[in-house]
Amino acid sequence: MNSFAKATSITVNISESNNAVHLLSFCEWLQNLPWASGIKHSTWQFPVVESVHSLALSVMLWPAALVDLRLLGAAMTRRPVSQVAAQFLPWVWTGFFTMILSGALLFSSEAVKCYNSPFFRVKVLLLGVAGLNALIFHKTVFRGVAEWDKADSTPLRAKLAGGCSLAVWIGVVAMGRALAYA
Amino acid sequence: MLSESWRPYFEWCGNTWLGSSVRDTVWAFPLIETFHLLALAVLLGTVLIVNLRVFGLGERYVSVPQIARQLEPWMLIAVAVLFASGIPMAFSEPIKCFESYSFPIKMGLIVVGIASQLTIQRKWVITGDAAAGKAKFAAVLSIVVWTAVGAAGKGIPYV
Repeated sequence: MNSFAKATSITVNISESNNAVHLLSFCEWLQNLPWASGIKHSTWQFPVVESVHSLALSVMLWPAALVDLRLLGAAMTRRPVSQVAAQFLPWVWTGFFTMILSGALLFSSEAVKCYNSPFFRVKVLLLGVAGLNALIFHKTVFRGVAEWDKADSTPLRAKLAGGCSLAVWIGVVAMGRALAYA
Repeated sequence: MLSESWRPYFEWCGNTWLGSSVRDTVWAFPLIETFHLLALAVLLGTVLIVNLRVFGLGERYVSVPQIARQLEPWMLIAVAVLFASGIPMAFSEPIKCFESYSFPIKMGLIVVGIASQLTIQRKWVITGDAAAGKAKFAAVLSIVVWTAVGAAGKGIPYV
């Protein structure tokens, strides 16, 4: 390794560890805020927010899974794909905002634990994959839905998007549970 | 809280092979709970989709009997998964369940939920031809009971 590469790698390491320190101190600051530590130490606040977070799964996850299962040809095959999507996407958004809000509260109350947990990092990563998958699906193959709306078999790319979404969301739930016990 | 006379049965559950294997495997409980939560999302999601339709909310394209028929097989699978995952979790920490208020409340609510599902839910909601007042009563009962089952489950480690 030449001296330039060495110098850059040292600089990169320093800036990475600085970022890590910043993120960690942000997490410390966050969880020490009165309302955040209040959630953690109150006898009922944490379980109530956690219940909302878990129950909102039924508003977000099952409707989202129904759209995925329709794309895979496993559910509601007699209904047009666009109808199933129009039917359930408002549920998904409602549930998603509830999950983000309640999840942010849970995160704030134990931010340092989350920062240190590999499961939390995988969870955030999977959330990113879920968002990207949905975005790509809507910007590409779903644009031409009119051509295969009522077909028994959907295009391969639609099946892939549905399968990916299902797998990723199951992973998100699993990481959430692993995080709680780690 | 349950009467002390029930304690030996709960202790017995904890001493079974099922109870000790879940306790002794570090990832078993979160893994089983993942399936329990996913199945709860299917059950409660179905309950919400079908019963909010009674009030004209949510589902816009098909009738209550149609959406109920489309979702029924999935809901039955979810119930099977909920039992199959719930029993090992309860067996792994029966004393915590025994000493909590939430566990007996949850069990009672499950009995109410299943009984109403097999009777008034079938007669007044899923057929779609009962008087509107009866259908709405059964719909609200179903949503409230199954939401409370989920919340009581979350409460077991705390109260």
